[in-house]
Amino acid sequence: MGGGGRGGFTLVETLIALVISSFLVVLVSHAFLVQNGFYSLQTLRVGVQDNTRAATELVAREVRNVPRDGVVVAGSRTLTIRSPIVVGTVCNRQGAAQVDVMTEGGEAAVPVDEVAGVALRNDSTWEYGIRSWPALDGNDNQSANNCAANGADTVGARDDFHRLVGMNALFPGAVVEGDVLMLFRETTFTIRTSQLDSTTLALFRADYGEAPVEFATGIDTTAHFEYRTSAGTYADTVLAADLSTVDVVRIVAESRKPPATGGADDVRFGWSVNVPLRNVRDEGP
Amino acid sequence: MRSARAMERGASEGGFVLALVVFMLFAIAVASATGYLVVSSEFMLGRHSRDGAEALTVARAGLERFVSETMGVLPDTTTYALGNGVAVVTTRRVYEEDGQTHIYYVRSEGTVDDIFTPGTPARRVVGAYATHHWRPVEHHAAVMIGADALSVEGGGQAHGIDYSTALDCAEGGGPRIVGAIARLSVTGQSPSDIQGSPPTRTWAGGWSAISDSIGVRWDVISDPNFPVDFENTLPSFGALPADSFPVIRYTGWVNASFSGRGVLLVDGVFDPNSSFSWDGIVLARHIDDAAQGQIDGMLVAGLEEPNMYSSVGLSIDVKYHACNVYAASESLSYLELMPHTVHEVN
Repeated sequence: MGGGGRGGFTLVETLIALVISSFLVVLVSHAFLVQNGFYSLQTLRVGVQDNTRAATELVAREVRNVPRDGVVVAGSRTLTIRSPIVVGTVCNRQGAAQVDVMTEGGEAAVPVDEVAGVALRNDSTWEYGIRSWPALDGNDNQSANNCAANGADTVGARDDFHRLVGMNALFPGAVVEGDVLMLFRETTFTIRTSQLDSTTLALFRADYGEAPVEFATGIDTTAHFEYRTSAGTYADTVLAADLSTVDVVRIVAESRKPPATGGADDVRFGWSVNVPLRNVRDEGP
Repeated sequence: MRSARAMERGASEGGFVLALVVFMLFAIAVASATGYLVVSSEFMLGRHSRDGAEALTVARAGLERFVSETMGVLPDTTTYALGNGVAVVTTRRVYEEDGQTHIYYVRSEGTVDDIFTPGTPARRVVGAYATHHWRPVEHHAAVMIGADALSVEGGGQAHGIDYSTALDCAEGGGPRIVGAIARLSVTGQSPSDIQGSPPTRTWAGGWSAISDSIGVRWDVISDPNFPVDFENTLPSFGALPADSFPVIRYTGWVNASFSGRGVLLVDGVFDPNSSFSWDGIVLARHIDDAAQGQIDGMLVAGLEEPNMYSSVGLSIDVKYHACNVYAASESLSYLELMPHTVHEVN
C-alpha cells in the first residue's frame, strides 16, 4: 500500500517504457513511410496511365472518322488526317458556283474556325478542296425554300439548309444536285520534344493553318504511329502513293514519369490502340 | 476486483499507445478513402468510355439494320433494341432526283443506359445519305421469262400496251413497252397474242441478265428471313385500304387459284390455273409450263435462271397496267447507302 501511495516510476521502468515506445514510433513511422511511398507510386502510375489513355483516346476519336483518302501524311511521328465536320447533300444549284446544301444542325453546327475545306464525293472517293469558311459561306436564307422546291422535306428543319459558294473554283463544273459534300477539318498530330518539359516528348495537335498545341506531356521515345495497308502489314511510314490503302491506324503510346522521390526507376506505362478506318471501306457502316 | 484494478491503472497511467492506434486507424482510413476515390473514378471513366463505344456500335448497327430491312413506305422513326442499347433511326428526304429515286438523310441515335447514371445515358449519333429506290421495278416487258424459249399459246396474251389511263393514276396511259422477253426466242400463236413496242425481244447474255435488269433485289426479298407483309397467306383485301399493294410471299409449288393485288413473290414454282387473277407484279423463281389465269400488271419468272423448263408455253393473259405496276413497285422500294457517306455526328 505504501508503494501505491508514493506513485511515480523507477528508472528501469522509465527506460523500458522509452525503449518500447521508441520501437513503436519507429515501427509506425516506417509503416507510414512505406504506405506513403506506395500511395505516391500508385498515384503516379494512375496519372501516367490516364495520360496515355486520354491521349490515345483523343487521337483515336478523330482518326476513327477518317473518310476515304483522308490520310494525308502517315509518318512515324507525324499523322495528318482529314475528318468530316458535317456531311451534306446538294439539294439546289444556283449557277456554277453556288449550291444549297442540307446538313444536320445547319450552319450553327459548323465550328467555322476548324473548317479546312470542302470535299466532293464521287463513286469511289472524295475530292478535297482547301478553302476557309469565309470563302465558302454563302449565307442565303432562301436555301430551305430552294431545296423544298426540289423535293426536300424542310418542315421543322429550315435551319439545316444553307448555301456554299466557290464550288466552281474548287470543282469546275462538277457539282450537281444530289451530290454529297463534306466540310472537313485537317488535323496534324506530332510527337516531339515537349515545350513544358524539355526532358520528355509530348503529343501535339494542330488544326489546319494553326500552331500546334501540346496536349499530352510525358510521352516516351518509343511512342509512334503505325499504319496497316491493304496488304495486311503494319509499317511506321506510308508513302504518299500508298496513302489510300491505309485502313487501320495504330497508336503506340508509352508514358514515362520520374518518381517524386529520387533513386527509383521511372514509372512507365505502354498502351496501343488499333483504330480501324471503317469509313474508308466501300460497304458503308 | 481484477477489472477495477486494471481500470484504475489505465486511468492513472494514461499512455500513448491508444493515441498511436487512433492515429494509425485515421491514416489507414484516409489512405483507403483516397484509394477508393482513385479506383472508383478510374472505374467510372472506363465504364463511360465503354458505354460510349457501345452506343456508337448500337447507332451504326441501327443504321445498317434500317437500311437493309426497310422495304416499302419509309417510316419517319424506327426504334430497335440492340444489345444493351436502343437505336432510334429517323429519315428526312433531302432531294428528289427523279420520279423513281430520292435521296434521304438517315440518322441513327444510339443510347446505352448505365444503371449508375440512369438519367444520362451514353449517346452517339451517326448519319448517312441513302438513295431511296422508290419505284425500283423496271418496266421492260409485260412478260419476262428467264428461259430459252417462250411461246404464248392457248388463248394466252402478252400485251405491252398500257391498259391503265390517266384517270387511274398520273402515270396511266403511258407509252407501250415490250410484249414478251425471253433469252433466245419468243413466239405467239397469232400476231395479236403478243403486242407491244416492240412486241417481242430476246435478252441475250448470261443467265442472270434478266434478273439483274428488273431492279429488284431477288436474293434479298426471297430470303425467308427477310420480313414481308404476308407469308404463305393472302390478306383480306377488303380490309386493306384500296391503294394498298402488299407484298405476299409464297414458297414451294404454288398452284395459284386466287385473286388479289400487290406483289406476289413465289420462291418456288408458280403454277397458276384459270381462276388466278392478279393486279400488280408477279415475281417467280420458276414458272410452270402451262400457266393460266390473268395478270393486270407484269410477270417476271425464271428469276433463278435458268427456269426449270427451258422452253415455256404460257396460256396466261398478261396485260401491262402501268398504274398497278407502279403501285406494286412502291411496295418493293428500298434504301441503298451512298458509299463513303456514313459519318459520326457527335
